[in-house]
Amino acid sequence: MIRGTNHLWLLTLLSLALILAACGGRQQNANVSSGAPGEVTIYVSTDRVFSEPILKAYEQKTGVKVNAVYDTEETKSTGLANRLLAEKNNAQADVFWSNEPVRTLVLKKRDVLAPYKSPAANGIPATFKDAEGYWTGFSARMRVLVYNTKLVKPEEAPQSVFDLADPKWKGQVAIADPRFGTMSFHSAALYAELGDQRADEFFRKLKANDVHVVAANSVVLDMVARGEAKIGLTDTDDVNVALEDKQPVAMIFPDRNGLGVPIMPNMVSLIAGAPHAEAAKKLIDYLLSLEVERLLAQSEAVQVPLHEGVEPPKNIPAINSFKPMTLDYGKAADRVEDVTRRLQSILGL
Amino acid sequence: MGAAINNTAILRRTPFLPSVRTLTVGIAAILFVALCALPTIYMFVVSFVNANGSFSLANYRLLLTETRQRELLLTSIQLGAGTAVLATAIGVPLGMLLARADLPAKRFLRVALIVPLVLPSYMLALAWIYVGGSAGLAAQLIGRDLLSRWTYSLTGAILVLGLSLYPLSMLATEAAARRVEASLEEAALLVAGPRRTVWSITLPLIAPSIAGAALLTFVLALSEFSVPAVLRVRVFTTEVFTAFAALYDFGAATGRATPMLALALIAGVVVNLVVGDRWLTSRRSTRTGLPLPLGRWRALAIAGSAIVLAFAVVLPLVVLTLAAGRLSRITTALNASVQAITNSLLLAVIGATLILVLGLALGYGRGRARARFKELVDLGFIIVFAVPSTVVGVGLIGLWNRSGWPGQVYSSAAIIVIAYLARFVPVAALILAASVRQIPKSFEESAELSGASWLRVFFRIVLPQMKTGLAAAWVVAFIFAFGELGATVLVAPPGESTLPVRVYTLIANTRSSEVAALALMQALVILIPLALLGTFASNGGKR
Repeated sequence: MIRGTNHLWLLTLLSLALILAACGGRQQNANVSSGAPGEVTIYVSTDRVFSEPILKAYEQKTGVKVNAVYDTEETKSTGLANRLLAEKNNAQADVFWSNEPVRTLVLKKRDVLAPYKSPAANGIPATFKDAEGYWTGFSARMRVLVYNTKLVKPEEAPQSVFDLADPKWKGQVAIADPRFGTMSFHSAALYAELGDQRADEFFRKLKANDVHVVAANSVVLDMVARGEAKIGLTDTDDVNVALEDKQPVAMIFPDRNGLGVPIMPNMVSLIAGAPHAEAAKKLIDYLLSLEVERLLAQSEAVQVPLHEGVEPPKNIPAINSFKPMTLDYGKAADRVEDVTRRLQSILGL
Repeated sequence: MGAAINNTAILRRTPFLPSVRTLTVGIAAILFVALCALPTIYMFVVSFVNANGSFSLANYRLLLTETRQRELLLTSIQLGAGTAVLATAIGVPLGMLLARADLPAKRFLRVALIVPLVLPSYMLALAWIYVGGSAGLAAQLIGRDLLSRWTYSLTGAILVLGLSLYPLSMLATEAAARRVEASLEEAALLVAGPRRTVWSITLPLIAPSIAGAALLTFVLALSEFSVPAVLRVRVFTTEVFTAFAALYDFGAATGRATPMLALALIAGVVVNLVVGDRWLTSRRSTRTGLPLPLGRWRALAIAGSAIVLAFAVVLPLVVLTLAAGRLSRITTALNASVQAITNSLLLAVIGATLILVLGLALGYGRGRARARFKELVDLGFIIVFAVPSTVVGVGLIGLWNRSGWPGQVYSSAAIIVIAYLARFVPVAALILAASVRQIPKSFEESAELSGASWLRVFFRIVLPQMKTGLAAAWVVAFIFAFGELGATVLVAPPGESTLPVRVYTLIANTRSSEVAALALMQALVILIPLALLGTFASNGGKR
């Protein structure tokens, strides 16, 4: 029994020693690396499966060590935007790579970002770049309709998001929680485009149509693939993964002739007070290169290149072949907070 | 019960605590405030400051005016209470059986029955959807969807959380039942049958431990986010979450956490009123209480354990394995995660050990504190434990991410251990306080009278008698620390961090087969050391 208590002592001492060692080790690292361009820290909200290989490729190419922090799905933790906000006074990150516009624009408004106009972005259309240089868009995803091909015939499939409010789909439509993730961007974009009255009306009709509001876009897709819902609203990459898996789904670019298809570029930004600003700029240049757009287009994320001349991914038409929703990303992002409150009461969340 | 009253009387007569003891408990209390309470206090200060930097109550005004908040709170209470009741109903009989009954393959059973606690609850919910969703296995087997109405409901969420959290109640019951004073039971046996003795002597004696576990379960279910989200139950945690994830407003998020803290507080007070502060005494450290004669109930006990095992353990594991499709997916996930696994195991062992040490000093202080003070201490532990992990994480960043030595701690793996401590020291303290109370104060007093120093008494007399409690607290702390995500994901330094962070960053929008494979891998990784520990501990107990 006495031996048992000795174990406890030993374990405690060992734990403390290990912690001190951990602190000390990092400290040494920090001393060696401060100022040297050998290291860069990036916070990434683009799915790790897609972003990690690209960062590894950069490491191999340049020898610069990339310390990455990846994000979880919005419904599983509060994520990186909050971490960046909390760390604002003593920035730890150099670069923020976001998979959608809203968070980047929130961070710009809260003075977390610094301007940097990368020469690598010259070939990217001005709509996808911040005039002040706080963010640059690249490889984009679209918000799309997805339907179950066993339950819905192609000619019956809805062509517009407004069709989702049609009583013929009552109880058959799934959307992700509009307070989080890309659905929050989509809802804010609809409000910015339609005005409050028409947008409110649309969501009220959806509610009356017994729309399923589920945890995430991946759940929307899962439900449609399994036939728990006939139609859903989700992102291109989610549908593509299901197509690769030969699930019975098909996607439709909504409102390609009317309101336009909502486009969500990845966005990359320099962090204000970045500890390794020079290394950060080089990494940003790389992320905005044709090479990365090509890699992301060829990956399962099927992200559409914004540079002209990069081949679009299979399953997805080129960016200039459909009408994009004409969006001022800043305006849409400004609406998120208010739209969240409105939709909470309209959809009863 | 006479002995119990005498002991309380002796305790009351102790005029003051000796200095080494006061010092130890005092240092522990300071560490508790600095490491565990300060991040939350920091966040509350932030919540009273508006954008212009002046004092404001704006973050609290909404709480009183919005009706939806009240509705959400009501659902949360139902979820918390329902889960606590279900987990207790399953956990207490199992704990009693494990402590006292003669069951086949008990060692295996104990480890197997802990499995739901190590499976991330989100994955358990997923497994249930694969079974009970409108296109799930059940619907495919029957040919008709009968279950989905129950799967996607408050009942479904209670079922999933109850089946995931009952091991806490089980462990607490077993630990307490093993320490009950055998002479009390023997005395009762003279006038009553064994079953009546268990019912009216043993169970009331271990009631504080059972109630403590129920309280922990209540708080855990209350602060759960992902299970209700997956099963589409609208609960109050979403409010806190929305403030972070949609509004990026730390003050509002903290403000919205207050009703949950208040609920935890109320639950704590209720438990205290119902169970009171009974003294359990034990004179023999070698005996493990009265054997439970099952008689013709033995078959029923075995069947009951088998049913729990089937529904809470086998079914989710089988469903997840089916969903993973190929076993190679699991081994691939395992191979790619070696670094994260090593980090997680190391950090969780360090974390659990430090949690145990700090929790031991605090639990001892609480167990031996004066009457009026102790309830306050208990409530303090419960409130700190009820703080949402994200609030803790952001608070830790605010406190530690600054220039100088705190910054060095923040940019090292030590901050992850601090996050573990901040979240789980209160749990260990509560478990260990219950354990301390089972040791008669008179043991210490007589040893001290014969000239032994307090430290010597503590290590030679108190600690050896707390073996089961210590083991239970360490295992719970290890499991919780190993699975911690909410705070870790916010503070972990860049680069590969812990296994849950890796798993949850990888499952973002990935296919369900990969999710299932990663979930199984995470469960496997923590089960192996636990199984080893279980075998080792049972051997130790026999010695």
